[in-house]
This record gives sequence, structure tokens and C-alpha cells, in this order.
Amino acid sequence: MSIAFKPEETFRGDYSYRNSDAAVLRFPFPFPEDRYMYSVNIEPHVRSGPSDVFLRPFDVDEHYIAECRDKAITLERDPGRCQVLPHMMMAQWDTLELLMENLSADYPEQFSLIKEGDDFGSRWTWINRPLGIEQSFIFGNAETLPCEPFEYITRQAQGDFAICDQRDDNLFMDAGMVTSQADWSLEFDVGMSFMEWHGPVPLAHQTGVFERALKYLLMLRLGQPVRRLNWTMSINPRLDTSPESYPEWGPDRASVTPENAGQKVHLRVELQTLWRLPRSNAILFPIRCYLASLEDLARVPKWGARLHRVLSSLPPQLVEYKGLTRYLPAALEWLAQHDDGRELPVGTEAGVSTLAPR
Amino acid sequence: MLHSDIKSRPTYTQLEPDLSGSQHLLIVEGDTVLPGRLDSLAGTFAPVEENLHTWLVGTQAGGLGLGKVWRLPEVADVVDAFACATRGYGIGDRLYVQGTEPFLWSVAKAAAIIGFSAEQIHLHHAGSLRRRVWCTHCHTVTENVTTSIASCAGCHRHLLVRDHFSRRLGAFMGVMVDAEAPGEVPAVEESFA
Repeated sequence: MSIAFKPEETFRGDYSYRNSDAAVLRFPFPFPEDRYMYSVNIEPHVRSGPSDVFLRPFDVDEHYIAECRDKAITLERDPGRCQVLPHMMMAQWDTLELLMENLSADYPEQFSLIKEGDDFGSRWTWINRPLGIEQSFIFGNAETLPCEPFEYITRQAQGDFAICDQRDDNLFMDAGMVTSQADWSLEFDVGMSFMEWHGPVPLAHQTGVFERALKYLLMLRLGQPVRRLNWTMSINPRLDTSPESYPEWGPDRASVTPENAGQKVHLRVELQTLWRLPRSNAILFPIRCYLASLEDLARVPKWGARLHRVLSSLPPQLVEYKGLTRYLPAALEWLAQHDDGRELPVGTEAGVSTLAPR
Repeated sequence: MLHSDIKSRPTYTQLEPDLSGSQHLLIVEGDTVLPGRLDSLAGTFAPVEENLHTWLVGTQAGGLGLGKVWRLPEVADVVDAFACATRGYGIGDRLYVQGTEPFLWSVAKAAAIIGFSAEQIHLHHAGSLRRRVWCTHCHTVTENVTTSIASCAGCHRHLLVRDHFSRRLGAFMGVMVDAEAPGEVPAVEESFA
């Protein structure tokens, strides 16, 4: 499968990131109904679903090269975005293996992995053609890689990654590569337990969502990954919306008007998957971020109308927590023209196979 | 006693000796001891007094009935004492700490490094509610914050003190309050005195 990468696009400065028509049609739209509330929306991460992003366990799309470059820029400015507590070395190798095996199997034109043996001590060669990398190393020997294995492989993958260590019937976020986060700080949260790092989320604690989710995840089995979608909104197609860099992107929230909302306001959807790791028994938690402007989304009539309804009926605590307060009225005013009030079918499918011209 | 619905902040309890332990170490931040309180601590720990060591930090107050008493000038000395501990602490040891929140977590962190597990450590919050605030932007720690918005000791931004607590840092998160509209700083309230 060939992918038409767009290596020059940017996620900062002039924000030249754009979605092709195909990328809009495969967008993982997260709202099956006209209203949204937190739930334990976890399902098996199988190779099918309402969007093509579910077809492969680790989705690679047209933004791959540009996203890896943006990640490198963020890490250069703030190396603390990658943190691994010392007891997590086994989980680092588990992660490298999982990513290399899946990427090379699902995208053989782009990635190859040549192994002389399966376990520690064997010689592996990794080829990443889009990024022009060829690396031979000894699996299990970190000295033979240019940096530690977790950082090495997650620099070559879209999205963020956390690793949760499992002990005392709890999960602890003991490693992370976090450069495209929706306003949470790895430096602050590293080492926290499941309930602690979810502490600031409103409303969901009271309904027991986190207790049920934790119970479920502690039972997660090898080879049976699960997934859920989460969402928020961002002004401009910016990956690095960390609290660290909030002084840089915060002012953008005050720049939204009903005229420019279609281009400026982006729906930010996270495909979160969870994987039991084989040697460490830790859980790998990739958070893959997809961005689409309101204008992109409104080209799918069902999505434009549904987004208008979801955002109009959002509980005020969620509006506040997701940071939408300042620009939500302008976004709603822009979206209103795409909602004629007709009944919409349940489900997230686009329902069209081509888009209206821009 | 400090009650809150902040999920990331621990619940603190009254101290009482854990009789399953064989050695007991009580560390008390001096200025949190109200007049007469040391006596009541002595009463509480009487059942284990023979195996009790007490470190009184920053106070000349008496320590009668608190086992072997050692006096230390400040919390940094507690951290140093742990770091240099030649006596091995083991599963029979119990640690009790009383003080302000930054004090509790400075001590708990140092103890964890030398092998105390969470079950061996008992924390009792006493004294001021002032907070240690960690700046998300420059990562500087500002001590003794009593207000809802505080000026960062490092980058001088006005930080909103969020109700999100990190045990590793012993600190609350501080986030620039006027990032979206520079200069629009809400009224500062005295919140954690």
C-alpha cells in the first residue's frame, strides 16, 4: 500500500497541515449520537470498524513524516517529554518489538524488520524508508541503539505513548513519550496511579467510570488489545498543546470569530489503544491524535450537523474542562449553518463516499 | 484535618502506632506542634515507646515520652539523614510523619528511596494549608503559597493553582492564568492559609 506523504506540512508557525479528501473520509468521528457523555467506551481493537483508521493496529497516514518531524522539534525544545522510570527497561523492549513487528507486517513498502532470532541477544535490522533509517542492533542491548529503545521507536511513530506498570492492583504511569497531548503534563503525572492521573477529569469519577475501566484494564490479555476514542478541540492544527507550551498556544483561543471558526477550530480525536506487553506485563497505551477543521468535517453533512448538536448540548463542566469556553459560541455559530435539524442516523460512519467540493 | 475531593491528593489520617511494626520512627515538623500536642503524641505512641525514635524538626520543644529523641534543624536534614542511613530499614519499620503537606511529601519521598513501601508510611497533615506549587511552564517550585493565584518564583508568570497534586513532586500544578488573554488576571483570593 503506497501512502502519499506530505513531508513539508507543519503543525506550528504557518500551520500548513491539511487533510486530503481521503483523510477527511477516514477521520475517526467520535459521536454516534447527538449528545455526548463520558462512558467506559472500550471495545476490542480489531482490524475493522466504522473508519479505515481501525484497519491496522498502528495506523500510519499521509501525515506520518511531518508528524515525526514535529515530534523531534518538540523533544529538542523540551527533552522532558520523554520520561522512563528505571524499572521499565523490559517494557521498553516490549514496546519496540510490538511496534516494529506490526509496522513491518502492515506496511511492508514502508518498513522492514529482519530478525536473526526472536529473543534477547539476537541481531535485528530495522528499515524505515519514509524517514530514511536503517539500523542494526542487538535486541535486548540498549547500547546498540542511538538512544533507549522506547524513545528510539516512538520517535518513529505517530502519536503519544505511555507505559503503565501493573502492581498492587493498580496501574502506574511509569514511562511516556508525550509530544501531542491534550493539555496534560507527563513531567507532573509520571509515576502516578490510574486514579491520580485522571484526578482532574470532571463528572466521570462520580459515575464510577474510572473504577470500572481500571478493573477492566487490569484483566487485559496478551494479544487482545482494546481501544476507545476520546476527543477535545484545538485552535489551529497544533500537535503540541501541552501545558508546558500553553503560553504559546493559549492566545489562539481568543482569536476565533464566527467568520474564521471553520478554518481555525479543529476537532481533535484520540484513538487510544491498550496492549498487554509480553515480558514486563505492563500495558502500552498509545494515544494517536487526528485533527480535522470544522470546515473539513462539515463536508460530510452528517458530521457537520451532529457536531453542532453535540457541542450545543455539552455539560458546562465539560466545556470548562476541555477549555472550550472562550470560543465555543463562535464555533457553534459557524456550525449552525450546517444543521438543518433533520433526524440523523445513529453511528459514526460518514455515510458518503465522496466529499462536496471545497 | 484536611478533607478534599481532589482525586490525586491523598487522604491524611490521625497518627496511631501500627502494632504490626517492630521499630517506629516518628518525624514531626516543629511548628505544627500546638502547645500541649507533643504530650498527646506521647500518649498516642505510649504502646510502642520502647521501640520509638522521634525526630523533632525545627523546634526546641520537649520530647518526653517520645522514645529516643533526635533534633534536626530542617526538613533538608531529614532527607540527608535518610540518604546517608547506614542502618538498614526493613519490613518491620514504620514511619509516621506529621507536618504541612510539602513537609510530608519531602519526607515520604526520601523514605521511599531507601525502601519504605507505601503501607509502612503514615502521614498526618497538620499546621498550615499552604501549598507547594510546581510551575508547568518553567518547572520551578514555589513554596508556601496561600493564594489561589501565585507569582512563579522562576518565570514570574501568574499561576492558577490547580487542584491536581503530584506525590512525586509533593506539589500542586500551577498553570499560567492569563495565557489566553494576557494581563487579564482574576482577583487573587487567600485560599490555603
